[in-house]
Amino acid sequence: MAWSKQAFFFLLIMSLMVLLSQSVLAAKVTLEPSSWGLEEGKACVDCHTKSSSGLTHQWKNSAHAKANVNCLDCHQAYEDDDDSMEHEGSIIATIVSPKDCGRCHETEYKEQKGSVHVKAISVLKNKMPNLSEHFGARAGYDAGCAKCHGSEVKVRGDGTLDPATWPNTGIGRINPDGSKGSCSSCHGRHQFSKAQAREPSACTHCHTGIESPDKAIYETSKHGMLYASHRDEMNLKSDQWVVGKDYSAAPTCVTCHMGAVGKMKSNHDVGMRDAWNLNSPVSEKQYLVIFEDGDKRELSTTEELPRRGETIKKLDGTEAKVKVVASPKRRRQAMMKSCLECHSKGFTKNSMQQFDDFVELYNDKFGKPAKAIMQALYDNNLLTPLAFDEPIEHTYWGLWHNEGTRARHGAAMGSANMAWWEGMHEVATNFYGHFLPQVKSIAGKKGDELIKEHLMESEYHEWLNKTQEATNVLGFDKGKPHEDE
Amino acid sequence: MKMSDFLPEFITRHVLFALIIGGVSGIAFMIFLIEFDHYTSTEEFCTSCHSMELAAEPYRNSTHYKPDSGVRASCGDCHVSEGVFAATWDHFMGSKDLYKQIFGPDYDDPVINALHLPEAAFAARKWFKDRDSATCKRCHVKEAIYGERLDTLQIHLEDAKDKTCIECHYNLVHRTIPDEKTFKRDKWNEMIEQEFGLEKGTANKLLKN
Repeated sequence: MAWSKQAFFFLLIMSLMVLLSQSVLAAKVTLEPSSWGLEEGKACVDCHTKSSSGLTHQWKNSAHAKANVNCLDCHQAYEDDDDSMEHEGSIIATIVSPKDCGRCHETEYKEQKGSVHVKAISVLKNKMPNLSEHFGARAGYDAGCAKCHGSEVKVRGDGTLDPATWPNTGIGRINPDGSKGSCSSCHGRHQFSKAQAREPSACTHCHTGIESPDKAIYETSKHGMLYASHRDEMNLKSDQWVVGKDYSAAPTCVTCHMGAVGKMKSNHDVGMRDAWNLNSPVSEKQYLVIFEDGDKRELSTTEELPRRGETIKKLDGTEAKVKVVASPKRRRQAMMKSCLECHSKGFTKNSMQQFDDFVELYNDKFGKPAKAIMQALYDNNLLTPLAFDEPIEHTYWGLWHNEGTRARHGAAMGSANMAWWEGMHEVATNFYGHFLPQVKSIAGKKGDELIKEHLMESEYHEWLNKTQEATNVLGFDKGKPHEDE
Repeated sequence: MKMSDFLPEFITRHVLFALIIGGVSGIAFMIFLIEFDHYTSTEEFCTSCHSMELAAEPYRNSTHYKPDSGVRASCGDCHVSEGVFAATWDHFMGSKDLYKQIFGPDYDDPVINALHLPEAAFAARKWFKDRDSATCKRCHVKEAIYGERLDTLQIHLEDAKDKTCIECHYNLVHRTIPDEKTFKRDKWNEMIEQEFGLEKGTANKLLKN
């Protein structure tokens, strides 16, 4: 019966909603107001209004100032803290770490603690020492890599902060108190404005350029177009900021990647809703493994799915018990919740389908064969193990890391230009125009064999065999004329 | 006329001689003290001990050594009190440095010197504080610290009204050393070990000797 079926679904949805229902507001500070407003800290402002009027002015305009949170509430330190120092009679620290912010903002601290953001340094360390050391050196790392990924802040024996490692607000910064991350990476100090953190620029000051070209992608997407036109309708200063309820003019990075949607709370674990890994030679869908200690890690679906209670390795090398595993499908569902506030289910599903198809096309047509051929070149000692001392290594790096990443991110966020002209088109140019000729010149006959083995079976590359088929794309009027002419 | 006509009876010739000799030698002694204090306050005298030469190295790169104006503060200008009695007293007390130089640890060794430096700094800071930064005030007048910005004067007159120079201005001249309250001996030792390429734990052993 139709009615009972409807009722069943209604009840099912209702019960799901009850299960998921939690406050949609950003987590409120639950401490008693008497926990801050340290008496000793009230005098700081008198002097700092004169000595550093800019930052004091910012603070005066902040929600902190309105709530009587003063300088010392955040900057207080214990004498035996590594980076503590005496300043005008108080014991303070320059660096306010996430742990310090977490004294009041407990929920946000907990969420960011296990997030992909705080692992930004391990990503650097484990994957690409070549870039920091061979392409650059210490100074390049400090002013480049570490500015976004974070520095490992060093306190010297005389109590001063090593100038190579501070100032730094990189998202994965390792702080003297052992905590990881930097809240001011996205939340500019000392105003800590909600509106500022909701702006795309809070993310795109790092997520721009070759490795993470999301600024240009967002700006050339429909979402970015709408945002640019309707920024004044974004209600950015609102206390509560639920999409579809408090604003609808456009989504920003925050909306889809961490924002509150319906009953789904906002979350400072920014990578949680990502199903794919788009920054690797070949993209793979990713499980999100949540450990009992609150830490998290991603695990490719090509690897064995860990069970609840099982002990596996964390990214930092230590082991921990698995609490729960979120499948890529579940992560995608979370992402789609924000889409559904403005788009229909069918629209959303089809958009995701187009994105998935694009990633798989990149994988199958370029990513996988290029990786397999490179592997064979290394296995046959046709390349030295050292990275970047041979031209093809630069070609391969550009293929997946530069153009390949741009293409995949472009498809993810709906920028046609970035997906195609500056993405897949560049990948193809690189692949056919540089990579394959380099394979041939390095490996000779073996190169031809490798190309045959990894490419010629695939319909994607069949066109290479049709050497006599002429088109007019390059403007040489050979063969069959173009239909329009 | 005889001299005794002008002088009281008890001033005999002998007494007069004694007074003159006493007076002259008193003056000579005072002159000696002044000169002695002056000489023993110079950079040249202080750094005649190698251990002090080590303390002087950072001083020579400081603005107290080479300010734009060319006004140079010598060791004694900061570390010896104003006035001949106070100065003599300071030098007298300072002779314990000489005693330690001779009988104490080998401060001429750069490592030993650096390891003991923090305690020396704490003592010096206390000395300044106890004297209300008197030697700073020989040259610096709180009401005249205009700085580069107007605010500098305001801060000194309003916010630092009840403070003495050394409370805020330390680590100006010599090697940077944290405040005693936040000083961490193990971190300091580690830094010195790294600086001189020594094995871990060497500093502790050296300090115990």
